[in-house]
Amino acid sequence: MILPHATLAEPPHFSVLERVVFAALVIASAVSFWQRFGPIVRKILQSKKDPGFRLAPIGRRVWDFFSEVLLQSKVIAQRPLPGLAHAFVFWSFLGFALVTLNHCAVGLGIGFLNPESQGLSGLFSRLYFYLAAVFALLCAVSITGLFVRRFFVRPVWLGKKVSIESGYIAFLIFALMATYLAAFFTTDASPAARILWWIHTLALVVFLPLIPHTKHLHLVLSPATIFLSREKFSDIPPLANDEDFGLVAGQDLTQIVSLQAYSCVECGRCTEHCPAASTGKALNPKDVILGLRSYLNEIGPATEEPLLGKHNSQEAIFQCTTCGACEFQCPVGIEHLPIIVGLRRGAVNTGAWEDERGAKLFNQLERGSNALGMSSAERDKFIQKESLPIFDGTQEYCLWLGCMGAYDPKGREIVAAFARIMQHLGTSYGVMSKEKCTGDPVRRLGNDLVFQQLAEANLEILAQNKVKKIVTVCPHCVRTIQEDWKAYGTPPEVEHHTEFLARHITQLPAVKTKESIVYHDPCYLGRYRDVYDEPRQLVQITGKLVEAERNRERSFCCGAGGGLAFLGEESGERVSHARAQELTATGAKTIATACPFCNSMFRDAVGEPNGLSAAPKVLDIAQLIDSHLGEPTLRLYTRKSDEDHRSH
Amino acid sequence: MSRILVIEEARIDGNHRFFHETLAAGRILSELTGLPAELAAIGDPNENVFMHFSGPVAATAYAIQHPLLVSYTSDGYTLAFEQLIRKLQPAYVVFPHTYQVRDFAPRLATRFGQVLIGDVTAIEAGPLFTRQLLQGKLQANYRHASDGPCFISIQAGAFRADSASGGTTSISTFEPEIDAAQIRTRPGAPFRAGTQTVDLASAPLIVSVGRGIKEAANLPLVEELAQALGAELAASRPICDNGWLPMERQVGSSGQTVAPKLYLAVGISGAIQHLVGMKGSQCIVAINKDPDAPIFEVADYGIVGDLFEVVPALTEAIKAAK
Amino acid sequence: MKIIVAIKQVPDRDAPIRIAAAGKWIEESGLQFSMNEPDAYALEEALRLKEAHGGEVIVLSAGPERVGTTLREALAKGADRAIHVTADDLGERDALGVARLLSEAIKPESPDLILTGLQSEDLGLGQTGVILAELLNLPHASLILHVEKTDAGLKVKRELESGWFQEIELPTPAVLTIQSGGNKLRYATLMGIKRAKTKETRVLNAAELAPVAPPTAVLEKIALPTKQRSTQILPGTPKEAAAALVEKLRFEVRVL
Repeated sequence: MILPHATLAEPPHFSVLERVVFAALVIASAVSFWQRFGPIVRKILQSKKDPGFRLAPIGRRVWDFFSEVLLQSKVIAQRPLPGLAHAFVFWSFLGFALVTLNHCAVGLGIGFLNPESQGLSGLFSRLYFYLAAVFALLCAVSITGLFVRRFFVRPVWLGKKVSIESGYIAFLIFALMATYLAAFFTTDASPAARILWWIHTLALVVFLPLIPHTKHLHLVLSPATIFLSREKFSDIPPLANDEDFGLVAGQDLTQIVSLQAYSCVECGRCTEHCPAASTGKALNPKDVILGLRSYLNEIGPATEEPLLGKHNSQEAIFQCTTCGACEFQCPVGIEHLPIIVGLRRGAVNTGAWEDERGAKLFNQLERGSNALGMSSAERDKFIQKESLPIFDGTQEYCLWLGCMGAYDPKGREIVAAFARIMQHLGTSYGVMSKEKCTGDPVRRLGNDLVFQQLAEANLEILAQNKVKKIVTVCPHCVRTIQEDWKAYGTPPEVEHHTEFLARHITQLPAVKTKESIVYHDPCYLGRYRDVYDEPRQLVQITGKLVEAERNRERSFCCGAGGGLAFLGEESGERVSHARAQELTATGAKTIATACPFCNSMFRDAVGEPNGLSAAPKVLDIAQLIDSHLGEPTLRLYTRKSDEDHRSH
Repeated sequence: MSRILVIEEARIDGNHRFFHETLAAGRILSELTGLPAELAAIGDPNENVFMHFSGPVAATAYAIQHPLLVSYTSDGYTLAFEQLIRKLQPAYVVFPHTYQVRDFAPRLATRFGQVLIGDVTAIEAGPLFTRQLLQGKLQANYRHASDGPCFISIQAGAFRADSASGGTTSISTFEPEIDAAQIRTRPGAPFRAGTQTVDLASAPLIVSVGRGIKEAANLPLVEELAQALGAELAASRPICDNGWLPMERQVGSSGQTVAPKLYLAVGISGAIQHLVGMKGSQCIVAINKDPDAPIFEVADYGIVGDLFEVVPALTEAIKAAK
Repeated sequence: MKIIVAIKQVPDRDAPIRIAAAGKWIEESGLQFSMNEPDAYALEEALRLKEAHGGEVIVLSAGPERVGTTLREALAKGADRAIHVTADDLGERDALGVARLLSEAIKPESPDLILTGLQSEDLGLGQTGVILAELLNLPHASLILHVEKTDAGLKVKRELESGWFQEIELPTPAVLTIQSGGNKLRYATLMGIKRAKTKETRVLNAAELAPVAPPTAVLEKIALPTKQRSTQILPGTPKEAAAALVEKLRFEVRVL
């Protein structure tokens, strides 16, 4: 093994002139950096304070920082190979912080790491330099790989526009690592060492000012972005005051939004996973963020210039299904949903959004009880027909029907199936005699007026009836009741029927047929609620679970969310068709769903009129289980089941 | 106050049945009150206004004629009927509840300090007039409580237009005094909306086809049915998705919202996306082979059977009935 | 153009119907009320005219205190001010009596145009606008789908039966009753609601405007219709079922 005699830590002796030149370069680099970075910081600070923002609980923030920034967990998990390459570059940067500091100190004659010195400090220096060398090697390989991927392989989601700066940056990083490594093979006083030292220095001073106006701004900002991210997934902030209508103009951009706009690293993970972008619609979540960045650069915060117009289009904003794939995927902590919903709020709360079907939905929900515009008498009829008990305060659960459960013929079948299972389990439940839409579609479309009316009316009805626990077959209802209603009161406990059923799994029939069943993760159950395993356990007691190409956190939307189920025909390919094809491609005979909206979308999408017989069945998990009620159960978890027996 | 005056209308679409229905309502009132029912109508002075209506209908009829009444205006009609009513002093004035009557009759009633009891569906002893409230969710009985004439208008189809009793009709002409300056509105000639685009939203009759039709080649089956009925053809989403019918004929949440008098759903199971587009129809008929199809829950009439057998039979039966 | 829109507040279409003890009206307690939908179309037309030609839109409604919410909704959608004729005794007034109240409230305003929905969703009389025209001695047109301002006054598109239409020219001031569906309704916005708080609502007392006169048409009693909507399955062979259906289409549905 070659033990290099020289390292960059032991540079040639510099002349005074060289030291002056070096100091001048560093100062010029720093000034140049700040000239570009300063205005960005000012723009972020000039933005509005975030209403409802709290730093507490700090533990979560520290953990997110540790996991997502330091461990690069999300970067690696969602794109393993390029993710790992990125992580090596990142970790090298961390390791190089000390090396670089020493490098600069040496230039001024005050180097503090000396591998040739005696004792502990020398040992530490030597160890550190070798460790850094390992990282430098990994980093050099990684950055080369990333360069090849970006400029030669070029995945579509990176967009058409090739950013030359990325090339420069990659080259500079490579140069930094190469010079560091090369120095191991030189001797202290050799001209080669001196030249390497200067190349390394030049790479550093050029690199620094490049950061603020390229996507490498994320180097500086994203740790803060991740640390300061909102508490929850799709955490839609409250309106600050009577003059706050959402994201209308520059003056409505909050500090977190501006910080996020500048943090985007343009990796395109959001675009890659966006159902709208991947079916040919105008919406591209990356462009939404970059649009805000251009707005901030050209117009700035604290202005009355509308946000929707040149930099972001209203059409695109209203194509979002709020599936949350973008927000989930984003490695730098950008929260797309509060931004997209915020822009919608701005357009809807001021009346700027004119859409026939949207207006109809709003008027329907303002006057009526459900998003489908049906008469509530139809709901009463269904309750009567199925003899569902009315909640009277004595039952344990309130079975919340939701609009689909109460009015959609197939949604009703899901509710009826689940009700039979509850009966079978001996769980007491009742349905509300009056129930309004939870407000999910208007919440996602940004209509705060109607959402507030619905949330308050429902909270009042539930409180009057002393409802403590809600169970429902609709993940949209679950999410809206549990999270979104909080702005207007204290909602009862709520859970999804698959969570409820999974807790009672030992009392459910376990038939395990050979039939293959593909489970589709609904966005509002998966990404919004982190419920992935319970529905799968339930599918597994009825048949053979198969997975679609994209599953769990990466599940692809059915196209119904975000109020889009009510907005009429979409442009481009249908999201539901894209997903239905993926599910059908598994060869499964049954598509298991856990959301009545997904169910309804796929029902339309799987069967063309002449291919109906070949198409898989679309069934809710409750229906799968209901069809086997009465058959023997499997006592998987004896301990848990004992508890359950005691409680009944 | 010795008579019932039944006002007829020369209708644009020549709906003679409504004429007889209005007369039938007048006769019921006549039986209840013992007062004779007489006819009146406005028309062109150059033609017999009653000639459109076949058969002898009432003993006395008044043809109101004036050059200023050739086209309908609310001012002109109100003036003309006001003068006739002041002259004849009827106890009851019975109108058909048409768009035209709705336009002037309230004005006319106001001139007599009265309120029109409109859209009457039944007349009982008293006489009590039944009309619907809250869009048919309730029915209410109204009684006239005033010395002046009682104005009512009757709902189309509410009274059975049975064959008229015999007898001859003596027609006398009534010429009201109307000055051109008293007519403040200038009506244009009636026109129909352009027919180049399909306007499902205002179609009175719709035959709609769904997945049950199986193939594009089977569509003529329902096209024939629609033609026999004089209905517009519509479809559920999968049919339009396949391009078998143009998108503009799609009924449902992503297509048109319709509210026809008759919606005949053929081979449509009734997914919610479809239901929300047609639930406002006055009468829904469903033909489907699946007795559990959700469409039957909203239908008024249902036929459970193979549409390839039922539809041709229905087309034949309709043709025979017409 | 100064436009007055007469608006009625009616029970929600979805409201559960229970007949009150006296048998003359429904039990109103626990009911939710909203803007009569045809009146919402009248308001929409008024707002569009104002947006195109300038002027003022005043909304007018008679009824008890709860009517205030409907007036606020109209203000939120863009009306400039409101007049509330407070009356707890509307049930004792017939269409003529209510129109009298409204006409007395309208007179001092001398508007160029008075709009109202074709009919109400509760009583369904469809007369208030026409009676108003008579009481104010103004020309009117009903069932209007489209309003155009001309030099001489107005040109309006009126719906006739069976898919026919007609254009009518009339001078202003005039009264129009608006048919639903001519425009697309705008939705109420949060911003509108906040702005509405600063708009004026004038309150007039019904008893002072016009005393209650005995109605000429008295509502004796109300009842739930005997026949509820239910599905009737027509049995038999395809031929028999088809024949049965034709009978229904002919005599019940009356489309043949």
